[in-house]
Amino acid sequence: MSDFNRIMKVAARIRKERLSGIRLKIMLPILLLFLPGMAWGFSDPNIVLPGGHQPDTAMEVLFYASLGVVFGATMCAVLMAFDGVSKDRASGMLEVRLAQPMPRKHQATALILGHAQSILVPVYALLLASVLVVRFRMGEWPSITEMLTYALSTGLVVFWYTLFALLASTSAREQGTAIAFGIGVWFFFTFLWALVTSMVAYASGVAVGEANDPAWVALEGMLDLLSPNGVYHHLLETQLPSVDRGVPAWQSWLAALLWTALPWWALHHRMERLVP
Amino acid sequence: MAEALLSFRSVQHRHALPAPSLFRPWGKRAGPGIVGLSLDLYEGSVLGLIGPNGAGKTTLLRMMAGVLPVQKGTVEAQFDGEGWRPVEDLRRWVGHMPEQVRWQGRTTVFEALSQLGEMRGTSEKKIQRLLALVGLRSRRDDALDNLSQGMRQRLSIAAALLGSPKVLLLDEPFNGLDPVAAEAFTALVRTLAAKGVSVVISSHMVAHLEGLIDRIGLLHRGQLLDEGPLEDVERRLGLEGRYTMTGKGTADITSFAPAGDILAHHEDEDNWSLTVKANPESVLSAAMKAKANITSWAPMRPNLVEWLCAATGMSVDDISLEVASSAMLPMRTLEVGEDE
Repeated sequence: MSDFNRIMKVAARIRKERLSGIRLKIMLPILLLFLPGMAWGFSDPNIVLPGGHQPDTAMEVLFYASLGVVFGATMCAVLMAFDGVSKDRASGMLEVRLAQPMPRKHQATALILGHAQSILVPVYALLLASVLVVRFRMGEWPSITEMLTYALSTGLVVFWYTLFALLASTSAREQGTAIAFGIGVWFFFTFLWALVTSMVAYASGVAVGEANDPAWVALEGMLDLLSPNGVYHHLLETQLPSVDRGVPAWQSWLAALLWTALPWWALHHRMERLVP
Repeated sequence: MAEALLSFRSVQHRHALPAPSLFRPWGKRAGPGIVGLSLDLYEGSVLGLIGPNGAGKTTLLRMMAGVLPVQKGTVEAQFDGEGWRPVEDLRRWVGHMPEQVRWQGRTTVFEALSQLGEMRGTSEKKIQRLLALVGLRSRRDDALDNLSQGMRQRLSIAAALLGSPKVLLLDEPFNGLDPVAAEAFTALVRTLAAKGVSVVISSHMVAHLEGLIDRIGLLHRGQLLDEGPLEDVERRLGLEGRYTMTGKGTADITSFAPAGDILAHHEDEDNWSLTVKANPESVLSAAMKAKANITSWAPMRPNLVEWLCAATGMSVDDISLEVASSAMLPMRTLEVGEDE
């Protein structure tokens, strides 16, 4: 069996285990509410958003509905992967796995792919449902490019949170610490990042929260590159010509690459040094 | 004598301990572990690795299993009969059964082994054979949650045997086993050794290894104090030729052997016991002449504390205290404080 096949087999086993677990059954209603539910709400022809704005294209609706991804799917990714390593470590299975002649880097790759797939399968199914909801409510399909960008960027943000949770899981000696770390990172980027942005803006002498102030918009755009959720929205904004926050598309994609590569490398590095 | 399969020369693995300082808050230093250990493993032999808690038995087994890296020293093997060669990945050749594996969940026995088999590329047929070998064939579709402790240990040994290892490492395998399961386990280890597998069993309960091991290694503070065939090590440490006689009634038991040969004696109203290190025939004939009512007469194997006392030269009191609190004692001089 080739190394690639072995990695995919181990990943498939993790995916199968997670997909058939009770945890996903608990999270499924949350995902349903946050993904197609939001798409349903934002595609309402009579909706008026704060500021009197009305989304008028399918991509705009999907952009607003991406709040569900940020709040729901990323949290589910954390909850799915937080014990990816710590559970095996606590039960002694980690030592059994590390004693198998499969390079640790390959084991890490299988771990990442298995956990990411286990959350991406329901998320992608529900994204498809969201697109169908938008089509049903607005009578309009997003373009192929828009759909691909939406799917790819959503996949990436879910993937990043999976990596964060697994990283926490390799560091934590107990599951409580692992989940606290995973949820802490999620909470920081989802809720507290606005505070960080405001503090930096205040320190830089930029008027905080002034949506029409180009200096504020530019600063917020730049700082968002340092947050996975911010990068996710930058990627989606590449398909929204009406939005310009001073960050070119290449910078958004470069940030996405870094957000993928750095935690990936860190997790592999951790796995190489992991002691059962 | 069987041929050596695997050779460790001056190997070392010391655990990294946090040593934060102002400028290096995440600094680490080398802590206890295994230091300068040399050991050969032989085809078809059963090596008992004994030592108190914290001696480094688990660290050594993990190092031998390729789970922990060998930081210093060399590891060579002649698994394929083509002479000694450095070993790149021990995990290909070594099967490892950790001390405590909590097999749990709704996964079946067969699925659990198959999942590990995927990592080695083991066939289903091989897994079926292994289940039969460890006596779990009838349990192959049982959920892990439904297995007894003895069955879980057998599943652990099946997992360790997945790659048809040349060397099998068993870390405290008798923990939690009842006498029946322990006997079955012993028989299984003997079968594997008879097939040429080199088995290493760690334990702090020497009695469990009685009659099973043919070599012994004494591990203390991360160092191998002595290692070799059981009788040789006993002789080197002066622990050979010890016998215990027990009996009923009253007898002048101290007259059975010269005072210098009596290691211990105990008498109460109805029973007595005498431990000697002397010519067994002369002691027995003295007891017979005295018409003592002998109930047993057997060679006496040393226990863990006796082994360690003999190997370190420390007294029973000192060694007992140290064994009881070994986790708190610093490593002996070797490179303590060295930064990693």
